[in-house]
Amino acid sequence: MKKQYLLIFVLALSLTFFNSCQKSAEYKALIVTGQNNHKWKESSPVLKKLLEQTGLFSADIATSPEKGGDMNTFNPDFSKYNLVVVDYNGDSWNEKTKAAFVDFVNKGGGVVIYHAGNNSFPEWKEFNLICGLGGWGNRTEKDGPYVYYKKDSMIIDTTVGRGGSHAKRHEFEVRARIAEHPILKGLPMRWRHGSDELYSQLRGPAKNMEILATAYADTTGGGTGRDEPMLMTIKYGNGRIFHTALGHADDGGGPALECVGFIVTFQRGAEWAVSGKVTQKIPYDFPNVAAVSLRPDFKEMTLEGDLAYIGTYDITKSTKYFTDLQSRIRYEAKTPQDYQKFEKAMIKILQSKEATDDGKKLILHELSWMGSDLSAPAIKDLVSNAQLKDDAEFALARLATSK
Amino acid sequence: MANNSTRRNFLKQSAAVATGALILPQIIPSTALGKGGKLPPSDRIVMGAIGTGSQGKSNMRDFLKLNKEVQFVAACDVDANNLQKAKQIADSTNDNKDCRTYGDFREFLEKEKLDAVCIALPDHWHGIIYSAAAEKKVHVYGEKPICRTIKDGQTIVGAVEKNNIIWQTGSWQRSQPNFHRGAELAINGRAGKLKYIEAGLPNGSRGIGTPPPQDVPAELNWEMWLGPAPKVPYRGVSHWNWRWILDYSGGQLTDWAGHHIDIANWGAGLEHTGPVEISGEGVYPREGIYNVPVEYDFLCKYANGIEMRVANESRLKMGSGTTWYGDKGWIHVNRGNTLTASDPKILEEVIGENEIHLIKSDNHWQNFVDNVRAGSKNTIAPIQVAYRAISVALLGEIAMTTGQKIQWDPEKQVIIGNPMASRLLSRPYRQPWSLPTI
Repeated sequence: MKKQYLLIFVLALSLTFFNSCQKSAEYKALIVTGQNNHKWKESSPVLKKLLEQTGLFSADIATSPEKGGDMNTFNPDFSKYNLVVVDYNGDSWNEKTKAAFVDFVNKGGGVVIYHAGNNSFPEWKEFNLICGLGGWGNRTEKDGPYVYYKKDSMIIDTTVGRGGSHAKRHEFEVRARIAEHPILKGLPMRWRHGSDELYSQLRGPAKNMEILATAYADTTGGGTGRDEPMLMTIKYGNGRIFHTALGHADDGGGPALECVGFIVTFQRGAEWAVSGKVTQKIPYDFPNVAAVSLRPDFKEMTLEGDLAYIGTYDITKSTKYFTDLQSRIRYEAKTPQDYQKFEKAMIKILQSKEATDDGKKLILHELSWMGSDLSAPAIKDLVSNAQLKDDAEFALARLATSK
Repeated sequence: MANNSTRRNFLKQSAAVATGALILPQIIPSTALGKGGKLPPSDRIVMGAIGTGSQGKSNMRDFLKLNKEVQFVAACDVDANNLQKAKQIADSTNDNKDCRTYGDFREFLEKEKLDAVCIALPDHWHGIIYSAAAEKKVHVYGEKPICRTIKDGQTIVGAVEKNNIIWQTGSWQRSQPNFHRGAELAINGRAGKLKYIEAGLPNGSRGIGTPPPQDVPAELNWEMWLGPAPKVPYRGVSHWNWRWILDYSGGQLTDWAGHHIDIANWGAGLEHTGPVEISGEGVYPREGIYNVPVEYDFLCKYANGIEMRVANESRLKMGSGTTWYGDKGWIHVNRGNTLTASDPKILEEVIGENEIHLIKSDNHWQNFVDNVRAGSKNTIAPIQVAYRAISVALLGEIAMTTGQKIQWDPEKQVIIGNPMASRLLSRPYRQPWSLPTI
């Protein structure tokens, strides 16, 4: 099993992440799994891949015995790691393993609680302090208050009632509550999240916990009418915990796991948990309030990939590869040489016989402001194309305004 | 300049042309207005409407609510359904069937001899049609934002000034008591010396994906709707939702600049200048035909040291509205008659006789009518201040589009040392349309 994952990872590495992974990873992560009412065999390898993609982590997976198995045999050595990711919801760990985990966090180890990980161990007090909030497992008022937002205020609600519920899976909007937190800094304030279980009515000790982001559980879909916590941080001992309620896994991944909003907050949260800071850059495909953004293959698109798609664009297709290009120009181009790098690649599309007219139109409008004399001949060549005349003239006219 | 008799003759002719019958308007229009001329108070102001969608009809109704001050005699729209509805509004008030209708603003402006015109169009048409109305020396009540680009705005301001017409921008918040009071408190230093201003405008909205091209509805002249904008197939998006597409609008940012940024300028004495440095970031939809920023956040620095942050409301502690921060406190205004301050005592302050008293208006449409009657250009929302309000948003748009820090000369109204960004000060028009040279 492990070998297979390694092979897939090496392939992915050689294709996309070669540069970033040249240096050895700074942090070691352990994903704890093996029992879950969710598809842990889908999620755990993805989480491993996502951690390793950052170039910051190498990750192992610790798989517990099956449900009802001998948990005394499950003794992962947490002390070898900087980060523990809890993708586990099952039988209690043995006392030694529990103590080792608490010791790990106390000494400053980082933790990520992932989705149904917060369903685990309702009876284990220290785990619940680490987790902040949990759901199901007969959690009630005895386990702590409900914590959620109403409008702009955080509510700590001690009402009697069950802990944990969710409406039928649906797309929803995640809203930043502490936008300046390193995990969220630079991200949109609101984004559409891929269809997921919107965890609601979580309750727990909620000690030393901050709610970074919430999602409104719409009553029309059977939700609570509250802005429920989705991303949280907790401090326990010397340890930092990032808790994401997002990311329900389906066969082959599914929209919640493939959502760039989940992926990026998971990756950033993991780095914050081990270091207290986040050095990863914001990717170009991060979703916002306009639409969900998915990575079905869990990989970020390259510039070459974007350009290849733009060359096949027609007006019935998604413009996402073009808007990726616009973002790259906006954030990466600093010097005239940077702009020229993009310009030359764009000219190739204008000159390509295979590239579509609709793709060329997109390029012409972008070149109209950031192009130079380099583009002019290629643009002029397109004036004779009846389909492109207006757009070529638009580009030439605008380029000429700075002369 | 048309005098009374020639104008009446003209109206008889054009009425006959327009309706195909020799029916005279039941209400004979008032005297045409000469340069600086005054209209007798007994006469109604004769108006037409260009753009009769939701905002255009709303403006017509607001003018007609005034006590028999205004009569609408003509309407123009590229959507025949909206045009008929506008005609019904006019006819039912006039108690006749004489409101003339046009599908082309050029014919409308050529044939109609009006005192004033009320214009509510997608932004990409403003440069051409506002200028054309001014060139016909018709007074204009024009919707904000007054332009899609800085160049459009400069052209419109030039046309209004050259032709000496009276202009009111649809920035109606100026005629609301809380905005007036907040701005007057701010400009008179009741929050102390102003240091920093925040303008919180609405968040962007969800996209609609990429709807396929479809048949243009029979009532809509799509080619004329597009006008100077790039030719694209109709996808079911035209009225109102044009504001989510960059070819026609800058989104909530430019839509609301004529409200909360305009009010910010009013209370900070920045109405006739602009920022010197602009930088910030926008969040753009990744796909779909709606491509305006759904979030935006940029900072403008002014020569006098004041800074103004413009952002979508979620990003600001005070949310939507305008907040002036001085060295002694803050003053906040918003829709819903909101006026708050860091210390409630600020709100009880009396403005002394020798302090600054901002123009007061209790009704935005009445204020325009009163100025037209008086032959005065002293409206509460003149063109020059509207241009300065939208300039802030358009310069922010350029900073966000390029990802660059923009240096702006508010006197010469040029971007300094940045040819790329300078190209974004205008948008080339699709032939045969062009921006007039004023």
